[in-house]
Amino acid sequence: MAVYRRTSRPRFTLLLLVLTAVTLLTLDERSNGLGVVDAARDGARDLFAPVKEAADATFSPVVDFLDGALHHGDLKAENERLRDQLSEREATVLRAADAEREREALLDLAELDFVGDIPAVAARVVLTPASGFDVTLRIDKGRDAGIAKGMPVVSGGGLVGRVIDVSRKRATVRLVTDSSSSVGVRISSTGDLAVAAGRGTGSTLRVDLVDPATEVAKGEIVVTSGLQNSAFPPGIPVGKVVAANTAAGALQQDVTIEPVVDLRRITFVKVLLWGPVE
Amino acid sequence: MTSPVRLVPVLFGALVLHQSLFVTLRIGDAHPQLMLLVAVAGGLLAGSERGALIGFAAGMLADLFVETPLGLSALTFALVGFVVGSAQTGIVHTAWWISPLTALVASFTGVVLYGLLGALIGQAHFVSLHLLVLAGGVGAMNAVLAAPVVRVMGWALGGSDEKAYAR
Repeated sequence: MAVYRRTSRPRFTLLLLVLTAVTLLTLDERSNGLGVVDAARDGARDLFAPVKEAADATFSPVVDFLDGALHHGDLKAENERLRDQLSEREATVLRAADAEREREALLDLAELDFVGDIPAVAARVVLTPASGFDVTLRIDKGRDAGIAKGMPVVSGGGLVGRVIDVSRKRATVRLVTDSSSSVGVRISSTGDLAVAAGRGTGSTLRVDLVDPATEVAKGEIVVTSGLQNSAFPPGIPVGKVVAANTAAGALQQDVTIEPVVDLRRITFVKVLLWGPVE
Repeated sequence: MTSPVRLVPVLFGALVLHQSLFVTLRIGDAHPQLMLLVAVAGGLLAGSERGALIGFAAGMLADLFVETPLGLSALTFALVGFVVGSAQTGIVHTAWWISPLTALVASFTGVVLYGLLGALIGQAHFVSLHLLVLAGGVGAMNAVLAAPVVRVMGWALGGSDEKAYAR
């Protein structure tokens, strides 16, 4: 027969668990990326990576099927958009070739650096954000491949984020959408300088310091400014303007951009072996 | 009686499934939170004390693979497992909708609690209107997955019909 009784043991157990968790939180906060907590995390991730890769390979047909089913509308819209883009590109390709020659000449003249010349390491994304609060990626290259903390990470379309943690064979990348991320940017059409800041959860960035008089069009591309001591080299596309408003009497525009890279479905990235120019 | 022989592989299996399959099943920014659901199922089937222990273990595993503060998921999931276990005491578990409903409410609450606890320890950006959208999405998706997860956890806990009544 079941015994119906209440004891204080469950509450005592809970208290112990809470105290343990608080201790871990404190250790994590105090270690600041260098302590035993981070070593444990890195070790666990490195240990888990082969299992994850095998599981990814096993589940990839299911993931592809479900992804197609869940995002059928998105894919259809994306196809339309890509078709439009293709026809636009075809029309501009001749002009682009000429502009490219001109740009290279200008860069040579001013001895400016540009992204195409920066050595890069290609890496595969092995862990995507595992909670709605986590705005990081894990990649399959680390210190052994020359990657160091602070290096910019890009994908085909543009900026992905920055390396925040490196082990021998893995690195963690904080995405540009993270609330602690801020990127010096330039509005491509006007050349105005601004700062794009992540919002944490959600997938857009806020652009601060845009003068109310500046004309910012929807769809306009915002690129990294690459000013002195900037954490990113110049000219990397960061995002596309989705909204720009100025409240009456405001000292700056309220500009929102969405990343040019689809950060939710990223498979490969390139880590630029680049550090800020002093 | 709880069988660690079954529970440990089930927890690791859940972690692998979560990392390889469920994190990719996104609707908006939300995806199923399998480890949180394991904590809910633990509370539902094994009572407050073991619910808290299972929640803590599931949370610790989840914490190792995110960049949010280590221990935050463990703390949140332990509390969720405990509360679900306490709330389930005396409930007759025959109706089919009990586990999906519990998963919905507990997962929603768990995500909100995670955000609030995160804000308390300096992650102020966790709390925004978006948090409720995220919690709603996670709650709904976890509710869909509740029945099979509760079944697997029932097996892991040794056919746990003993539930929480003696706690």
